[in-house]
Amino acid sequence: MLDLLDRRIIFVGGKGGVGKTTTAAALAVSTSEHGRKCLIVSTDPAHSLGDIFGQSIGDRQTQVTHNLWALEINPDTEAARHTATIKETMKHIVHPRMYGEIDRQLDLVAYAPGASEAALLERVAELMIEAGTGFNQVIFDTAPTGHTLRLLSLPEMMTAWTEGLLRNQKRSRRFSAMLKHLGGGQIKGDELSLLDNVEDYPENGQDAKIYKILMARQRKFTRARELFLDTDATAFLLVLNQDKLSILESKKAIGLLERYRVPITAIVVNRTLPRDVDGEFMKQRRLLEEKYRDEIDYEFSTLPRVFVPLFPHDVHGTKVLLQIGKLLVI
Amino acid sequence: MDFPNFRNKLRLALDLLTEFYHAPYRGAIARAKRDEDDLFMLFVFSEMLGVSNPVIYYTLELQPILMNKFHDWHTRMGMKQSPLDSFRCC
Repeated sequence: MLDLLDRRIIFVGGKGGVGKTTTAAALAVSTSEHGRKCLIVSTDPAHSLGDIFGQSIGDRQTQVTHNLWALEINPDTEAARHTATIKETMKHIVHPRMYGEIDRQLDLVAYAPGASEAALLERVAELMIEAGTGFNQVIFDTAPTGHTLRLLSLPEMMTAWTEGLLRNQKRSRRFSAMLKHLGGGQIKGDELSLLDNVEDYPENGQDAKIYKILMARQRKFTRARELFLDTDATAFLLVLNQDKLSILESKKAIGLLERYRVPITAIVVNRTLPRDVDGEFMKQRRLLEEKYRDEIDYEFSTLPRVFVPLFPHDVHGTKVLLQIGKLLVI
Repeated sequence: MDFPNFRNKLRLALDLLTEFYHAPYRGAIARAKRDEDDLFMLFVFSEMLGVSNPVIYYTLELQPILMNKFHDWHTRMGMKQSPLDSFRCC
């Protein structure tokens, strides 16, 4: 059992099909049963939150139970919305006969590789930053590991990039200041001013706008990254099954997460066979699982491990989820 | 002696001198600043030139703001026409 109730943010990750959504949903139900407002967010393009709660959810916060809301982020809608705003702004600037060009150009960007990831990251970052204000806990049911790792690496990359841009802007401003100091603007007779031969400068308004946009982004990503690393606020659970591939991928994931200095809080071993299985086939499977269990205990010895059994029925609806939740959370 | 007139003349002479010494530096610094700004434009519009930009999604919103500088920029970069088939500005 894990002490997760006081974390504002929980990420549930792991290989595809190991039961991330189930684990995340179980945690969410259990948190909400403890009287805390909880939001569960699916970032997997193939959403299954709706299936597990037995109601359609979609791209807006939908109430599931008394204290529980769910959200399935649709990155494509998000990207389309983002480009639509830019289209509008551009149309104020350019000649109407270019509207068609702008639409074409920006639609390409919306569908460019990386756009939906960027949109997703933006949304996740916003939700992380808001976590703790509207909701006591926000649980992210993430897409398979590779995707999550990318999500973790993006803030760092984005920060580096915006920093580069801001540095460039700063140098440009410093040159402007020097120019002023050297007499630009203070010269009386226009005929004396050699400044006229120099490229015209963007008005302060433009620079200020760019700066504001870059800084807002920078702040968002820096904050998200801080939260990723803040073990008091954020927990990262890795779900795996007792099989070879799942163990191998988890090992890899932990290694990579360590590279980004994101600590794993605990490991959830899902779908373990109960002790008293009958039939020769199942007994053999169980022996195999025991071997893998030893391997898990050995490989992940430093991490807390929670074992969740395989159920004879589908995990569906809040009742069963709560049952699993009780195994996970204190 | 016509003091105000003399003062004005002296003032003008001083201004000219200052200008004489400052002007070359000003040109150099203005060019340095322009280079910085051009680099910034290159970052923002790189995708249009076939240089992949990992954060195009985020820089996109800077494009409308920089649109008025776009024409000057591509002409300065040695491209008489807008480098884009799909996006003409001139």
